Amino acid sequence: MRRFFAYLLAVLAGSALGLGSALWMAGLLPGASTMAFGDVDVRGWRSDFAIGSDAADAYTRARVARHGLLALARSEAVYFTRTTDDDGAPLREACSYRLSGGAMPAGWWSVTLYDAASMLPANTDGALSIDAGRAGAGAWEAVIAADRPTGAAHWISSRKAGTFDLTLRLYMPDRAVIADPTTALDPPSIERLTCGKAP
Amino acid sequence: MKRWIGPLLVMLLCAAGVHFAALHAAPTVIMARAMDMLAQRGVALHRFTNPERVTPQTQNVVRSSPDLYYALCRYDLSNPGTQLSVQMGDWPDYQSLSFFAAQTDNFATIRGTGKAVAVRLLPPGSPAADGAIVSPSAKGVILIRRLAPSAERFAAAAAAGKADRCRLIWKDRIAAPAQD
Repeated sequence: MRRFFAYLLAVLAGSALGLGSALWMAGLLPGASTMAFGDVDVRGWRSDFAIGSDAADAYTRARVARHGLLALARSEAVYFTRTTDDDGAPLREACSYRLSGGAMPAGWWSVTLYDAASMLPANTDGALSIDAGRAGAGAWEAVIAADRPTGAAHWISSRKAGTFDLTLRLYMPDRAVIADPTTALDPPSIERLTCGKAP
Repeated sequence: MKRWIGPLLVMLLCAAGVHFAALHAAPTVIMARAMDMLAQRGVALHRFTNPERVTPQTQNVVRSSPDLYYALCRYDLSNPGTQLSVQMGDWPDYQSLSFFAAQTDNFATIRGTGKAVAVRLLPPGSPAADGAIVSPSAKGVILIRRLAPSAERFAAAAAAGKADRCRLIWKDRIAAPAQD
């Protein structure tokens, strides 16, 4: 009888260990960061070029299913996500930031703010992103803040975002981006301007 | 000590088996849940949606872009002899027609900037054919993206979307519209 319970315990413990490790390694546990994985890092902007591909390994496929469902394969679009400012601190609603960059090596690009659940923040400000059309040609800047800044050409609202991240979409990316992203891509910088109390 | 070797081996085998089974099943389970959620929110079977502009209040899928028009069509080619006729209407800016299998793979994407696109989607195991794509799974999702970063462009994209088609064909006849 004791032997039976020993094997029963082994099966239960093994199953729990296997399930827990799979969920953890694939980033599927509640609160898991989308950025714990990825094979491309361009100055803090991380991406996984296996997204959308049947060549993706099981961990990537599971993670993308959770955090990037219906994402396109890299030949059509690549997605970079950034969770920290230029000093390495997490992006927070309580702070304001200057997002700045230039032309991107793609047919069209955008930067969009998402909350920790990978959803658009629950505000009604209508200021969720900046894209190639609004930024125009050449250098551009946008302020990320919970309240509309005065004098800024572009605003991305972080109201009700909590701890957030930014996704850079490059549609119709230049081939060089796929081949050598660290050389071909000069991603936007994120300078922290001020920090107040968390709402 | 020897008496623990058996249970220890069983535990390790169970851990490895469940680990890889969970990983293998996760995308399909997540996609199935997403498909159910999309169905509950009005994404029809074999018909493109008339989408609302993506906002925090209308978003259905994680990391949707507020700058894009998304039209979705769920498909089910489980019944023998069925295939899908898919058409993406003309749009002067960027647009694409992308196909996602039940395991979340983006198995085909057709770019259609400045032109209309028509293609047939065949069930798994079908022989290759001109103007057709073979789906690796019986069920999946088709997604049209159009660049539409303003309310005006979104309204124009919605007007262009009236030419989009996602129709189930059974033995060369258009099947009756799905009820769900």
